[in-house]
Formats: sequence, C-alpha cells, structure tokens
Amino acid sequence: MAQLILFVSAFTFLYLPTLLGYNLVFGKGKILHFGHGALGLVASYGLWTIFVQFHVPFLLSALFAFCIVTAAALLLAWLSLRLEPDGLGVMSIALHLAVLAVVLNWQSVTRGALGIPQIPRPDFMGDLPSFTLVVGIVGTLWAVGIWLLNRSSFGRALEALAEHPWHAGALGISRRRIHSIAFVIAGLGAFVSSIFFPMYLRLLSPSDYGFSAMIFYVLVVVAGGPGRVWSVVTAAFFLTFLREGIRFVRLPADMIGPAQLILFGLILFAAVWWRRKSIFPPQREV
Amino acid sequence: MLQLFANALIAGSLAALIAGGLALVYGTLGVFNLALGQMVLVGGYATWWLYQIAGLSLVISIFGGLAAGALVSWLAFEVFIRPFYKLHRFLPLVTTIALSMMLDGCILLAFGERPKGILPGAKQMMEVAGARISVEQLIMITITVLGLVCFAHVLHATAIGRRIRAVVQHDHAAMSLGIPALTLHRIVFILSGVLAACGGIYMGIDTTLTPTIAFSITIKAYAAIIAGGKGNFWGAIFCAYLIALLEQLLVGVHWFGTFYVPAGYQQTVALLFIIVLLVVKPSGLFTSTSRTA
Repeated sequence: MAQLILFVSAFTFLYLPTLLGYNLVFGKGKILHFGHGALGLVASYGLWTIFVQFHVPFLLSALFAFCIVTAAALLLAWLSLRLEPDGLGVMSIALHLAVLAVVLNWQSVTRGALGIPQIPRPDFMGDLPSFTLVVGIVGTLWAVGIWLLNRSSFGRALEALAEHPWHAGALGISRRRIHSIAFVIAGLGAFVSSIFFPMYLRLLSPSDYGFSAMIFYVLVVVAGGPGRVWSVVTAAFFLTFLREGIRFVRLPADMIGPAQLILFGLILFAAVWWRRKSIFPPQREV
Repeated sequence: MLQLFANALIAGSLAALIAGGLALVYGTLGVFNLALGQMVLVGGYATWWLYQIAGLSLVISIFGGLAAGALVSWLAFEVFIRPFYKLHRFLPLVTTIALSMMLDGCILLAFGERPKGILPGAKQMMEVAGARISVEQLIMITITVLGLVCFAHVLHATAIGRRIRAVVQHDHAAMSLGIPALTLHRIVFILSGVLAACGGIYMGIDTTLTPTIAFSITIKAYAAIIAGGKGNFWGAIFCAYLIALLEQLLVGVHWFGTFYVPAGYQQTVALLFIIVLLVVKPSGLFTSTSRTA
C-alpha cells in the first residue's frame, strides 16, 4: 500500500505542471482547447529525441524543446484568437492527432510506436522515494506559482476575458497578450512534465500522449473545479489513485482498460452535471 | 488517377453520410457531439452481431443496426445533450466526451479489439471507367447519393423540411410561430445518429470495424462541417468529399516524380489543410448567413 501511495504521488506530482497549465487555459481562461496533448508530445520528443537519439547535451536539448514548445503554444494561442471557440476545440484535437501521426510515422527519428527506450535518470533520483521527493518539490513549487499567478492582475485579466471579452477589451485588457501568455505557461508546464515523465518510465512512448491522456486532463480540471488550483491538485491525486488503483482490482487483463474508460466517463459526466452552471458560467449583467 | 477519384468517391460517401447529419445537428442545436464516431461503431457492430452471431438475414441486420443507432442517439440526446445545451452550448462537447469514453469501454468489452467485417471474404470486383470498384461499394455510393437526394427533397420541398430550416435560422422565432423546436431538435439528433449508424454499416461491409477508429471518424466529420461553414449542410457534404479526395491524392500521386507520401500521413495532411483553410477563412468555405428581424 505504501508503495502504491508513493507511486501515485510521484505520478501526480509529475503531472501537476502540465495539468495546472491546462487548467489555466481551459479552466480559468475558458478557452475551448483540447490540443494540450500536442504540447506534451512536442516537448517530450523535442527533448528526448535530440538527447538520446542524436546525443546532443541535455541543456541544449532542453533549450531546443523549450523553443519548439513555446512556438507550438504561440501557434495555439494564435488559433484561439483566429477561430471561433468550438472551431478551436475541434481543430486543436485535429492538431494533436496530426502531431501524433507525425511521431508515429517519422520512424527514422522517433522510432514510431516503439518509442524511445533507455531514457536516463540522474543518480539522485534513482529510486522511487527520491524521485517522488524531487518531483514533489517541483510540482509543489509549480502549484504555488500558478496559484500566485491566478491571484495576480494576469489571473484577473484572464478571468475577465473568459467572462466577457468585449468588456475586458474596453478596459484595456489585450486578449492577444493574455492568451499568448496563458498558452506559453501551459506549454512550459507540458515541458516540465515531459522532462520527468519519460525519465520516470525510462521510456518515451507515444501511447502515453494519445487522446486518452488529453481526456484525463479534461477530467481532472472539470472534476477539480475549472480555474481553481488546490482542488484541481486534489482531484489529480484522487483520479490518479483511481486510475492506477484499478490495476489492482481482480479483473481479467483485457477488462481493465474498458472498465477504466467506463468509470472515468461516468466520473466526467457526474462532474459536468455537478458543475453544469459553473464550467461555462453565464455572463453577469449589470 | 481515375482509381484515386473512385477511392475518394467511396471514402467521401461514407464521410458525407456522417458529416451531413452532423451539419444539421450543428445548425439546429448549435452543439458538437464528440461521441459521433462511437455511434458509427454502434451501428456497424450491431449489424455485425445480428448478421454474424444471431444469424439473421443481411437486410434485417442492417435495419437492426439502424435501430441501434437511433436508440443510442435518442438516449444520448435525452441524457447527455438536453439537460445541458440550453445552459451553455459548449457543455455537450464535454458530456459527449464522457459518452464517447463509456461507449468505447462498452464496445471494447462486448466486441474486443480485433477487426470485424460484416461481409468478410473477397469482394466481387468490376471495372467502371477504368477504375476497379466492388459491387458493394457501387451499391453504397448509389445509396448515399439517393439518400442525399431524398434528404434534399425533404429539406427543401416538404413542410417538415421548412420547419427544420426555420429552426436552423432562428429557433425562438420558429417557436413563436408554433413550430415545436425541441421535438425537431430531438428528431434531427436521432436522424444524425441513424446516418452515423448507416456509415458504420457501410464501413463494416466495405472494410472492417475496429474500436480505435471512432475518434478519427469524429474529427474528420467535424473538419468537414467546420470547413464547409458550420451548419451548412451542402458545404459539409462538399468538404467531406474534398477531404477524401485530398487524402487519396496525397498518398496516391507520385509527387514531382520523385516520392510518394507514406500512407500514415494520409489523415494528417488533410487535417492540416483544413486548419490552414480555417486560418485563412475562419468561417469556412460556404458561410450561411442567418436572417435577423
């Protein structure tokens, strides 16, 4: 049991930067964006392909990954300004699928569906407790940073834009600037998570970045309360525990995946039902 | 080249069936249904089960598949759409993601991951204007075209079609004239489910059904309706065929006489094309303007 809790904690902490980044865009900003998985893919493959496959020094690889994930985040921000919300929702999924298809098919560089094995982990994070401690510190610092950001003028501007873009614009809030910053922070979160996640598994696999991962982000944000920080962190712990804990239920191996899907579908539906008036709240009128 | 056009016609007919119903749903309700691909699979798998396992005749199995599609879409409307779409039109986008997960799980539990074909075995091929096409494909293209013609007649030349178009243009104004908008919303949603099930049956007969294809079907259908101008029925049909043609041309043409694009990129480039198109023209190719008082 202690091992399971440690394992779930490690998983939750390493997911926190990307989850809270997504929460900023989808939860706080109410930007109907379902392409966050594409940012994770770009960051992970940008970093680990260059580092493991082409033996470029880690810092240079990280810098490269950071640059391309920022560019991808800015592209999504630009699409959010250009397209209507529901168009962005569907097109961001399309972008995610397109990036995934490139990863799966560009086998000479990415090794396709096999993924990239032998991702190194530093010695000081060699065992599970020390790894959990490091990602715990990083995850907590990230959560505190996002919480402070939410309470800053940037957070209020993002919230104002989510509620009424015209009125916010009339108050001098630049939608272009705020959306770009929100997407870049989300990209940075994806970048931080993509450093630790393959390191933990010692494998970079495209199956970890499929649309089911994206659905998990949506589930955590909706269940936790869109835009909130600490309740999303709690939801992340709970849902990760549920997701990993179901593996220990005595079910035939081929039933675990479908059972997870049905269970998470029910939780997502229940969460939307519970929060149906607050996920996309109606505009306040004076 | 003719073979590529024939392939595009086959794939486009399947996509048009699905996207057409969706365009109407978007026009009348203003909502997206991300469980559409799963509804396609429900129709296909139900037909497969009735024909291959229950041993019923193909015609009865097809009607059974269509009924299963209608039933699931009706339940989806009552549980996952109706309680939410008046609160905010984006809520069903999230609730239908939940529905898609549940349907995916149920399909995987009931039918497993292995591909299933309604009519397995070699197809009877024939040559039409230099392109090789199976009898089943020819029948399905004909049925799709006939179905679309019938649909056009209902939509543009009957009382119920006029009511649907009135609700598409302005549901509140239509309700004030005594048109039961909620009933029409329900009918249109179920109709889109039946068309999706029809697409699943088409796919199960032409190729095979696998649980993993649901999501790419949904996204391609939505790419067609967004690129066609949201809510524009004929724009969606046109773009469904256009995307299918692009996909075929992409992998079938020997580009610059030097290389072929690998088949794995077929969907990617079509989706990227739609994204580029939307960036240039965000309202889609055929924008339909609604009248205002």
